[in-house]
Amino acid sequence: MTISSYMKDEHRECDTLFAGAEEAIALNKWEVGEKRFLAFANETLTHFKKEEEELFPTFEAQTGNTQGPTQVMRFEHEQVKGLIGKMAEVLEKKDRDAYLSLAESMMILLQQHNMKEEQMLYSMCDNILPPEIKEETLAKMKEVTI
Amino acid sequence: MFQQNGLSLDQAPPISVVFHLFLIASFFGILAGFMILFYQETIFDSASVGAITLTHTLTLGVMVSFMLGALFQMLPVIAGVVLSSPIKRSWWIQVPFALGMIILLLVFNFTAYSQLYSVASLLLGSSLLGAIGIMLHKLIKLPHHSASSHGMMVALLAFAITILLALYLTATLSGLAQGSYYTQVKTLHYHFGLMGWVALLIISISFQVVEMFYVTPPYPKILSRYLTGTMVFLLLLKIPLAFLLPSAIITINTLLALLLVSFAVITLYRFSQRKRPLADASMWFWRLGMGSLILAMLLWIISAFISHPLMASVTYIAFASFALSVVFAMFYKIVPFLTWFHLNAQGYYTAPMMHEVIHPKTAKKHFWIHRAMVIILLLSLFIGKLIFIAGVLTILSFGWISYQIIHAHLLYRKTEKSGEKFDMGK
Ligand SMILES: [Fe+2]
Ligand SMILES: [Fe+2]
Repeated sequence: MTISSYMKDEHRECDTLFAGAEEAIALNKWEVGEKRFLAFANETLTHFKKEEEELFPTFEAQTGNTQGPTQVMRFEHEQVKGLIGKMAEVLEKKDRDAYLSLAESMMILLQQHNMKEEQMLYSMCDNILPPEIKEETLAKMKEVTI
Repeated sequence: MFQQNGLSLDQAPPISVVFHLFLIASFFGILAGFMILFYQETIFDSASVGAITLTHTLTLGVMVSFMLGALFQMLPVIAGVVLSSPIKRSWWIQVPFALGMIILLLVFNFTAYSQLYSVASLLLGSSLLGAIGIMLHKLIKLPHHSASSHGMMVALLAFAITILLALYLTATLSGLAQGSYYTQVKTLHYHFGLMGWVALLIISISFQVVEMFYVTPPYPKILSRYLTGTMVFLLLLKIPLAFLLPSAIITINTLLALLLVSFAVITLYRFSQRKRPLADASMWFWRLGMGSLILAMLLWIISAFISHPLMASVTYIAFASFALSVVFAMFYKIVPFLTWFHLNAQGYYTAPMMHEVIHPKTAKKHFWIHRAMVIILLLSLFIGKLIFIAGVLTILSFGWISYQIIHAHLLYRKTEKSGEKFDMGK
């Protein structure tokens, strides 16, 4: 298994959960929507944690660069987290329009973030990390929970 | 080499550059509407002064300004390219460009002043070739290429060739060149501009944004990897063939058309596979755009065998509908997202949400106006008087867009002035 394929699958999983929540809320099915949104938030935050605590430090150690791409990725994670918070708020209030509007920003923000990771960062990791370290990082990432 | 690759604010150009270019584009669009009122049915004859003036208003005025705005914004984000001092850069592009445009449009109509072709050429040639040069230079240096950044390079190359071909044409018209190859060069100029610059740029941006905005599966590898390269190769092949073996051109054109049809069909198929089932106005703009592209290309293939002036006019309208619909489709995602994104990233927690910048209903209404415009323009091929309604709808359509841009910009400035902000420690 490569880092790319493992992490890409997680991105797709998050997309599916997110789209499901959006669809339910668009149809005013609040209960289902909330459940799916929570699953999405959970999945996304776990994924971020895997990156921030395992993958990024490994990458930084290997390249000796802590100010580069991983820094930008961390900054974007913060933006996504901020949006998750706001979405939870409007979900509480059952404000459909506000939810759909925030969902739009979230999707674009998250997609462009994921693309940068998939096209650049993950493939760099697969290329530069020695096989044992790669295996180890993958194993450690699978253990991460929040 | 990598730190340029974030969507951080130091790199994203100031949002006013994008607003400016988009606003210029919509003013040219309004102008195009008045031209339709002025030239009326003569625009359907592609050799007429009206058609030439209108085409250049749409392709150079509207498309180039929109596309430059999108590129200025997207190069840093999508391709990881940093354009230094974007404001200054864009002024020395924008001013000679706008001046050159006005002179060019005038001299098309007042042929007695044909010396002015050289002035227009100088202004347009230097500003556009300069802008292309900067972007190409930055793109070539990229350590990692995506289908999108590849496509953009190819599109920019095609645009540069379009301009060089145009310089030959204007040199002939102003009497500086003999113009023995005028007819061939003119056809090449049109093909490089429309199939090269316009279509290739739309394709390469699509490779990135379709997946990103609508959460679709990525385009098939064979398409994202080879389509733009193959198209530019075919276009380049046309240059020697136009002089040496003109009969082979039909084959090349058919191939180009089929490639574009397959792109449109796959894009439509990808939309049907998207994970977010909601269909907003931008989705409908995309569908109209891709449908128009398919129609334009099929008619173009047929026209090699049966040629009829009516068919040429429909092809022309369908291609314009393709380009404009896709531009609008992207507009309704880019403007609200950028407004929200720039403010949010500066820490304004009162940053307007995307729907507050442009409400989905406002976008939907614009879609109806735009679609009515395309249909009525087609109908006016049969009922001449309808052309006036098409002209008014064009003005309304671009007026609508201008209003959205101004509204977004005012909202942006208001938030910057009075919005509440997290202290980012700067
Ligand atoms: Fe990430
Ligand atoms: Fe990720």
